Amino acid sequence: MNNIMIGRFVPGSSWVHRLDPRTKMIVTFVFIFVMLFASSWATYALSAAFVILAIRLTQQPFKLYWDGLKPIFWLILFTVVLQLFLTPGTPVVFHVGPLQVTWPGILNAIYVMIRFTLIILMSTIMTLSTPPTSIANALESLLAPLNKIHVPVAELALMLSIALRFVPLLMDETQKIMNAQKSRGMSFSTGGPIKRARAIVPLLIPLFVGALQRALDLANAMEIRGFKDAASRTKYRVLLYGRQDVVAFIGTLIFVLIFIGIKISGV
Amino acid sequence: MTQAITINNLTYQYDDHELFDGFNLSIEAGEWVALVGHNGSGKSTLAKLIVGLIVANGGDIDVFGKRLTVDSINDIRAQIGMVFQNPDNQFVGATVADDVAFGLENIELPSNEMPQRIDEALHTVGMENFKEREPHTLSGGQKQRVALASVLALGPKIIILDEATAMLDPEGRASIMKTLQNLKAQFGSELTLITITHDMDEAALADRIVVINDGRLIIDGNPDDVFSKSQTMHDNGLELPFAGELTARLTVKPKKYLDERELIHWLSPSNK
Repeated sequence: MNNIMIGRFVPGSSWVHRLDPRTKMIVTFVFIFVMLFASSWATYALSAAFVILAIRLTQQPFKLYWDGLKPIFWLILFTVVLQLFLTPGTPVVFHVGPLQVTWPGILNAIYVMIRFTLIILMSTIMTLSTPPTSIANALESLLAPLNKIHVPVAELALMLSIALRFVPLLMDETQKIMNAQKSRGMSFSTGGPIKRARAIVPLLIPLFVGALQRALDLANAMEIRGFKDAASRTKYRVLLYGRQDVVAFIGTLIFVLIFIGIKISGV
Repeated sequence: MTQAITINNLTYQYDDHELFDGFNLSIEAGEWVALVGHNGSGKSTLAKLIVGLIVANGGDIDVFGKRLTVDSINDIRAQIGMVFQNPDNQFVGATVADDVAFGLENIELPSNEMPQRIDEALHTVGMENFKEREPHTLSGGQKQRVALASVLALGPKIIILDEATAMLDPEGRASIMKTLQNLKAQFGSELTLITITHDMDEAALADRIVVINDGRLIIDGNPDDVFSKSQTMHDNGLELPFAGELTARLTVKPKKYLDERELIHWLSPSNK
């Protein structure tokens, strides 16, 4: 379970690490949105260059990102295969029974693969360089306008950060319960899918009971320390946009403008 | 002397079982009281009643002269800090500093005053070098010291430790005890400490020990008095510290309770 890179924070002090979490979030969303319009080699090359530059700025080895892609490999492969066989078009390369692989199909499959990879890399850059609480804070700050329509943004952000805080703890506990049951002869890795699924049940029950006990304890501890509601609290970590955030926004803007330029010129 | 906590005629039912029935106790400001009893004796329930996490069926609890009611509960809680048993289940923040900040955010302290308060509190418990550390990189004893700092940052007059060392290794336990002694030396009569425990070595550090069993007060006195009543302690499911157990088995006993070092000295032949 320790090799899951999605959502994992790697501490550091690179240029990207020091950006305001809101900046990273906005840039990531802008990038994902722009990627939806990529349609030619030139636009994909530009986007890839943008992502590679961002990766370099995090000062983390490429291998870390490669590990991040691995768990989603099958999902990418699945979409690629779908594209490959289900895109109609004229130059048919070959066909297997009713399924035919066309030249536009091959092109589409490659495009989809690049698009997928770039989007995941970009999101990994954000989660890898931003502590989970900062992501929660950034969400709270960016979604603040929703307060007007009575969405409890502060509560949701606090819930999110507490949930994230308990992830490693529950992972640990899962491992402990698994070990305890393995030592009594339970096997989690043999048998068919049904047998394996049934082995999960005696794992989930103690895990849930433990999690509920933790929740009750945590509620007491929070209440004792004066927690009333999430909205009427001051903030320890104040988010402030700095010079480098301006640089990041300008960089992103230039990227978007060139992207639009390429689209219009039709390269 | 002002009374920090006065409990008068308290009754509390727990699962059809009358746990407290006319319980009385008063604790003076600045005292260090150890509340001892075996599991299920009602000691933790008493702590929860004092801070209003559970509600008594009858009787009164006064904190610094203020009656505990639904309206006064927030004012009273502002004066009491509490550290619980499980170090992981009371760690709210993602880092040490964030955890200490949690309480300060709740009392709506301005952001620019927080760093100083956090540094001071962490310094008091000797955790100032761990500010940006995440909880899973800390030992149990370190987490409990952070929990203590989180409580201290709010400037309470009373701190209750509810079995705060029960899940720690001996080293962690010793570090908490040392921290509490430092606290007492630093704050003196400004701070009332209540440690709930069944570890008699811990209880021995207090000014006063209150033994309860099944919601009744059994013995109330200073450690020397309490440890000299070994039979009563045994009857209530409690073990004495080593020196106390040894004294109880001696045929010729010292006149007053002696701790381990004093007892060794008293027993040594050179002293005869």
